[in-house]
Amino acid sequence: MADNEILLSIKDLCVDFSTKEGVVHALKNVSFDIPKGKTIGLVGESGSGKSVTSLATMGLIPNPPGQVTNGQILYKGKDLLKYSESEMRKIRGNDISMIFQEPMTSLNPVFTVGFQIAEVLRLHQGMSQKEARERTLDLLNQVGIPTPHQKIDAYPHELSGGQKQRIMIAMAIGCEPDLLICDEPTTALDVTIQKQVLDLMLDLQTQYDMSMLFITHDLGVIADIADEVVVMYRGDIVEKNTTEEIFLRPQHPYTKGLLACRPALDKHPKRLVTVSDYMDVDGKEKTPPKVEFVNPTRPISETENPVILDIKGLKKYFPIRGGIFGTVKDHFKAVDGVDFQVRKGRTFGLVGESGCGKTTLGRTILRLIEPTEGQIIWKGKDIVGLGADEMRALRRDMQIIFQDPYASLNPRMTIGAAIIEPMEIHNIGANKQERLEKAATLLERCGLPGNVLNRYPHEFSGGQRQRVCIARALAVDPEFIICDESVSALDVSIQAQILNLLMDLQDELDLTYIFISHDLAVVKFISDEVMVMNEGKIVEMADAETIYLNPKMDYTKRLLSAIPKGIPKTLLDKGITTSDLGQ
Amino acid sequence: MKYLASKVKGNSLWSDALRRLLSDNLAVFSFLVIAAYIVTALLASSNLIAVNWQDSIGASQAAPSFVDGFSHWMGLDIFGRSVLQKTVQGAYTALYVGLVSSLISIPIGVLMGALAGYFGGWVDDLITWIYTTISNIPEILLLVSIAFALGKGIETMCIALGMTSWVGLARLIRAEFIKHKNREYVAAAQALGASHSRRIFKHIFPNVLHIVIIGFSLRFVVAIKSEVVLTYLGLGIEIGEGSSWGLMISDAAGELVQGIWWGLASATLAMFPIVLAFSLFTDALRDAFDPKLRT
Repeated sequence: MADNEILLSIKDLCVDFSTKEGVVHALKNVSFDIPKGKTIGLVGESGSGKSVTSLATMGLIPNPPGQVTNGQILYKGKDLLKYSESEMRKIRGNDISMIFQEPMTSLNPVFTVGFQIAEVLRLHQGMSQKEARERTLDLLNQVGIPTPHQKIDAYPHELSGGQKQRIMIAMAIGCEPDLLICDEPTTALDVTIQKQVLDLMLDLQTQYDMSMLFITHDLGVIADIADEVVVMYRGDIVEKNTTEEIFLRPQHPYTKGLLACRPALDKHPKRLVTVSDYMDVDGKEKTPPKVEFVNPTRPISETENPVILDIKGLKKYFPIRGGIFGTVKDHFKAVDGVDFQVRKGRTFGLVGESGCGKTTLGRTILRLIEPTEGQIIWKGKDIVGLGADEMRALRRDMQIIFQDPYASLNPRMTIGAAIIEPMEIHNIGANKQERLEKAATLLERCGLPGNVLNRYPHEFSGGQRQRVCIARALAVDPEFIICDESVSALDVSIQAQILNLLMDLQDELDLTYIFISHDLAVVKFISDEVMVMNEGKIVEMADAETIYLNPKMDYTKRLLSAIPKGIPKTLLDKGITTSDLGQ
Repeated sequence: MKYLASKVKGNSLWSDALRRLLSDNLAVFSFLVIAAYIVTALLASSNLIAVNWQDSIGASQAAPSFVDGFSHWMGLDIFGRSVLQKTVQGAYTALYVGLVSSLISIPIGVLMGALAGYFGGWVDDLITWIYTTISNIPEILLLVSIAFALGKGIETMCIALGMTSWVGLARLIRAEFIKHKNREYVAAAQALGASHSRRIFKHIFPNVLHIVIIGFSLRFVVAIKSEVVLTYLGLGIEIGEGSSWGLMISDAAGELVQGIWWGLASATLAMFPIVLAFSLFTDALRDAFDPKLRT
């Protein structure tokens, strides 16, 4: 076979969705090729049309409301759009497979994983039960599942998130497809697991000589895996080129913005560059502001930055019940004896993988969860054991911004009502009028127009909702805010905007943050001090720069090495660093 | 003021649901049927139509006829009263029982379910024990004992139906509260200093209100049917308390063998559209309010 043989070719593809507000052009004349044995990275923010492209290829556009209005999808020279549903069914899972973002919900909880993999094999390859089981064991081995003989009979809930995604991969490659479509397969995973999964996919691709279409919102993730990159913006392809060229010489302002907005570990800008620094709302190119680098370690003075929060020996155990009468058999130690101090006007970063206890710690500090043991000393006073009324008064000073802006706003309340509610509770502002005025001012401060108070959360995008959540937290003029994975659910480009906003607010209002995240790069960018947590205990604690430059513990080193470098390895080998990109 | 002057109006999930409901022809039609029954019942109760339903206007058990005026369309009963007028008056009784018993059962169900689901622990154990106990006693037996204890009559029946029919709703509301109390928006409200009652009523309750509305509609149908059954069994409406479809069917039991079918036909024909309309409307409500369609 020739090297440059095209496996899949998308030509002038247009997809429309009809909504109540009119027709939305989700894809506008999208064209690109996927050569055999190569990986194409499809990059863009939510709503740019990248998932629609993959669904169209699989023939899975929901109709109505969606409709392919123009174009061809040529697979081995034949137009998939002309195939009947039963013909497409033979292609799906056999010739073209797909891996979805959320491994937690993509597996059926009532069947064993072995059964689910074998089912695909029996369906498409006509294998007998015995053959399918053998092949399944073989596949589990290949995707790196430990003790496959036991795990083949495990149910999805008995596996970790990373293992589930491996199962999904095993299922997808089972029939040795020619094309594997991966829709953000690592976005829901921790960095260390993400790295393992990416390495695995790269291995499998060479082994099976598959083509891959890798969809992501994060250019850093595909630096090492993609041969070519297609950048999408609002249903259009704005740029396509080889990965190296995209990273070295991006042409379109959107690509430049995307490359620049990811916080890097080896430099410390004062603010993160955002896509809007590179182009205005109409997509016209702008000259970005000169990036200002600052000393990453901010000085600490005892008078201006006193310790305002002192955590001593904090523990939170959850009982594990068992037996017929539900007696407590053991305890799950979510937070197991943690000590640290937070200084006023500074950011304390808390980093660790999912399940390490960082969220429980955050909520326990605010006593949203009652601690099992230990002291939470806020301005010299232990708040453990405070009564409900005293605690409620304290909530004025201590606020929290959650991870999922979709879940943390009440869908039945207008955002105006949501923002003035804390003011009502704490008697801030003389009347409703005054509170609404303040709410509008807060919204504008957080980068939203002040006249949208009567709108409901579902009318906003994820980034906008997070701004609303920030405005709500600010409504009580707090001194201290816990940001619990507050940017993790957002696209990188939006993430940069929210991080900038948080930093600006800190400067302006002298706020103190505890910033919780699984993303070390983000934590390092925003924090003065960083604490690494694992299994409820502190692994390492130091100032942000030290943790990055001289990690002492193996666990920290492992976390650091797993962070995508944000630059193709081939370029790194040539001595090019992230600082040289896109400039 | 500058902000308030230029306020942008938002689309609430309620207005969305209403729009979905209005675009559903069957729902609109069902609602019109229900509205027609309500209007009829109100006119009948304020003596504007079917006024002389208690007067004898002809021969005992006269067959339906279309020549003697509309009062004779569905024939006459044993005392020579117009069956049609009795049916119209029966609509009032049916809707009255439906409304009052729902108004008794819904608050109990919502409160019990909300407290059990929100607080959990021993509160949940206690409330679950209460409703499990109630739901384990055969309903008719319970109704009979309440009727005997309080004396028969329309009010007793409403109380009896109200006291026994909150269990299903309480179960649903409890489950929804358990689901919602762990949502981040509730944790956010707690972090902002909101009290328990504020979290229950201001935050979670509007998110489960659709279940209450659907529950109300569902209760209504059950109550209308129960009135008929109970009255037929002699436990419901007493003779002299007004006309009731249940009484008419009860009377028809003896009359049917004599070939007098119009009493039964009239009551069942009147009952059928309202029960069907309520059932269809409940389905449409469920579709329109389904929060899964929107985030």
